[in-house]
Amino acid sequence: MKTWTRLAAVVLVGALGGCATTKPPHDFTEFNKAPPRSILIVPVVNRSLDVDASNYVLSTLTVPLAELGYYVFPVNTVKVVLEQEGLYEPEQVRRMEPAQLAALFGADAVLYVTIKRWDAQYVVISTTVTVEFDYEMTNKNGTKIWSANKQMQYSPQQQQQGASGLAVLIAAAVSAAVTRAAPNYLPLTQQANQQVLVVEPTKLPAGPYASAP
Amino acid sequence: MIRFALILTVALLMSACVQRKYDWNNYDANLYRYYKDPASAQQFRAGMETHLKDLEAKKQRPAPGLYAELGTLYLEQGDRTTAATYYAKERDAWPESRYLMETMLQSLQKPSKDGGKK
Repeated sequence: MKTWTRLAAVVLVGALGGCATTKPPHDFTEFNKAPPRSILIVPVVNRSLDVDASNYVLSTLTVPLAELGYYVFPVNTVKVVLEQEGLYEPEQVRRMEPAQLAALFGADAVLYVTIKRWDAQYVVISTTVTVEFDYEMTNKNGTKIWSANKQMQYSPQQQQQGASGLAVLIAAAVSAAVTRAAPNYLPLTQQANQQVLVVEPTKLPAGPYASAP
Repeated sequence: MIRFALILTVALLMSACVQRKYDWNNYDANLYRYYKDPASAQQFRAGMETHLKDLEAKKQRPAPGLYAELGTLYLEQGDRTTAATYYAKERDAWPESRYLMETMLQSLQKPSKDGGKK
């Protein structure tokens, strides 16, 4: 119980910290020279072994950026257009000049995301799911205006600290089995996005629609 | 009881931070499902269409990109006319999309490689 209360206090402080803006800011000099109104999110480069990871991560990026007040180009439409241009692999898109990409879509900025880790490690009855991403944004001239890296980890067993003995073993075995069948990467991915986009020190400035109804 | 109160406090604090500007109607989750199971395309398209009509009836501005995504789902079904309608709506709702949407509309006016409408 004591442990639990301490954990809760940490979470509480963390939740409060999520709203606070006290840490020193990231260098936004280049960003602020010509703040973008619109952001083009291109297909996600995948360095993990899970072939589906790229599309999954792509689906999580629009909402947080649009909620910050930017116009976000429709990611699936962009993907289809790129495919029509013969660019099926995210790596091909990554090798293009950012300025050329921005011009193709009429975008103010291009966001590149690379998956560095996306895996679940199984050790008998415990499972740890890890994701790690690199984020990089360039302006329409190709100058880098923002970047971030985030790793997030999750072990379902961490949640059963209150119980003891056999109950813990059974619960851990069950959660490992569930995780093994369908590792839950999405909440972790959403958290990583949230942390780099809306939490200091990498938090993006508000976009042009931030205060519009 | 203390435990419960703490959970509630944390939940309230978090929801205070994540209040949303737009009504997305689970766009991200549905896109994720569409990538996982392309057979859900029709369901995705119908859900988006109903949602966008609801927003129009309420005179609410849809989130950026939603009209265009719906247009693309129609395009992938071979329905170029309906696709064009939604691309035009995206262009009119968001000036930032104008260049891309005009380009899409112009390419739709040309006869397609597979001979027009399926």
